[in-house]
Order: sequence, then structure tokens, then C-alpha cells
Amino acid sequence: MSSIGFLKLAYVVAWLAYLGYLARILLGMKKVQEERQELDRTMAANGAAPAALKRSAG
Amino acid sequence: MKKLATTSILLTIALLAVTSYLALEVAPTEATMGDVQRIFYYHVPSAWVAGLCFFVNFLASIWYLWKRSAASDALAAASAEVGVVFCSVVLLTGPIWARPVWGIWWTWDARLTTTLVLWLIYVSYLVLRRFAVEGQTQVLAAALAVFGFADVPIVYMSIRWFRTQHPSPVMGGGANSGLAPAMLHVFLINLAIFTVLGLVFLGLRYKLQMSQNALESAHAQAALKGVA
Repeated sequence: MSSIGFLKLAYVVAWLAYLGYLARILLGMKKVQEERQELDRTMAANGAAPAALKRSAG
Repeated sequence: MKKLATTSILLTIALLAVTSYLALEVAPTEATMGDVQRIFYYHVPSAWVAGLCFFVNFLASIWYLWKRSAASDALAAASAEVGVVFCSVVLLTGPIWARPVWGIWWTWDARLTTTLVLWLIYVSYLVLRRFAVEGQTQVLAAALAVFGFADVPIVYMSIRWFRTQHPSPVMGGGANSGLAPAMLHVFLINLAIFTVLGLVFLGLRYKLQMSQNALESAHAQAALKGVA
């Protein structure tokens, strides 16, 4: 591989690492948000105050 | 959530694009190594941000051991993970630079070995956080972080204390160190932009950690009431 090839490889690896990590964080946030909504729905269906409502009341 | 995701993705792409443009187009070509030296403009700022994150982890861990604050534990967890990501980029871009310049991907010199040990310390910190027995995790992790941070100054000083194959320090390395002004400008701008990128990741990861903690307590409360 040429010198330029190594340079390109390093930048591609760095971009992939940083964008991949950002995607991992954002997917984690989405998952937590969905689980929270599911929990609130379950609690509401069982007659308990949803966690989100309790938080705002507290 | 959608707005936050779009903003953070665009911001990250913009920051990386600016740093790439400066390093690949604006910085002058180094006389001895040629274009491959431009890896330096990603390698060193990534190392700086990794060190900064491990310092935040160190302070947050001390604060947790002192005050038992959930926020400081979340900050410690977030900073360790972001630090590992930046340190991983250092350990990947270093050998990619070394192969054409040294003719080898890796050598067990003091700088490379202490950096690999640093990465392993914080990977074990993250593994500990994931698998330790519930209730002990935070204290064990904080104690590991306080001792683990001792490797950061060793990594920094390794090229000053030992004769290494790794290049000598370009900043603060004595009379023979330093960069040409055009290179220095690009380097300092990239250093600042990578610091912003690190802070963006840290802020997002901290927010995620706090949301995960809140979700866990909500699940625990629901379980106590026999709802979920």
C-alpha cells in the first residue's frame, strides 16, 4: 500500500470509530426512551401513576 | 430526540470534515515522512481527548467516593467510555502511521506499551461496571479509576523518561522540539475541535447514562408495586 493509502486508511478508521460511537449512543437513547414509554403504558394499564407523571408531580 | 440526533450527527460530521480538510489540504507536507505524517493531526488530538476524559473520570470517581453522588458516577462511566473510544483511535491510527514509516505495525516500546496498558485498564473498568455484583459496582469502579489514572502521567512522560522508537515530544520536549508555524496552527485548531467533539460525546453519553439510571429506578419501583 502507498503512503497515501495508509493516510486514507487512518482517516477512514477514525471517521468510522467516531460516527459508529455516536450511532451507538443515539440508538441507546432511543432504546431507553422506548422502554420508558412501555413502562409508563404498563403502569397506566395497571392503575398505577405513570413514572413520567410521578416525576413531573415530584 | 429526533432533533438531538440530527443535530449531533450533523455537528460530528461538520467537526470531522473541518479537521480532515485542515489536515489533508491546509497543513504543509512534512519533508521526511511525506503525506502519511498528516495522521498526526488526528492521532495526537485523539490522545489529548482520551487523556482529558480519563482525568474527568478520575475527578468524578474521587467525588463519588467522597459524596456517593449518582451524577458523578454517571459522569465517571460516561467519561471512561468516551476516553476508551478516543484511545482506541490512537491505538489504531498509530500502527497505520508506523507501518510505512518504521516498516512495522507495532513495537513494544515504552509509549506504545503504556498506552495499550491504559486502554486495557479502562476497558476492564467498563467490563467491571457491566458485570460486577449489583450494589458494589460504583465503589469498585471508582476505586479502580483512581488507581488506573496513575498510568496517564506515565504514558505522557514515557517518551521523556525512556529512549523510545515513538517520536520525541513535538510540544514541550526541549530545544529540539516544535512544529513549523503552519503545522502548529492546524494542530492547535484540530486540538480545539477534537476537544469540542469529545465534550459533545461526553454530554450525550452522560445524558444516556442518567436516562438509563432513571429507567432502572422506575423499573425497580414498578417491581416493588408488582406492576411490571
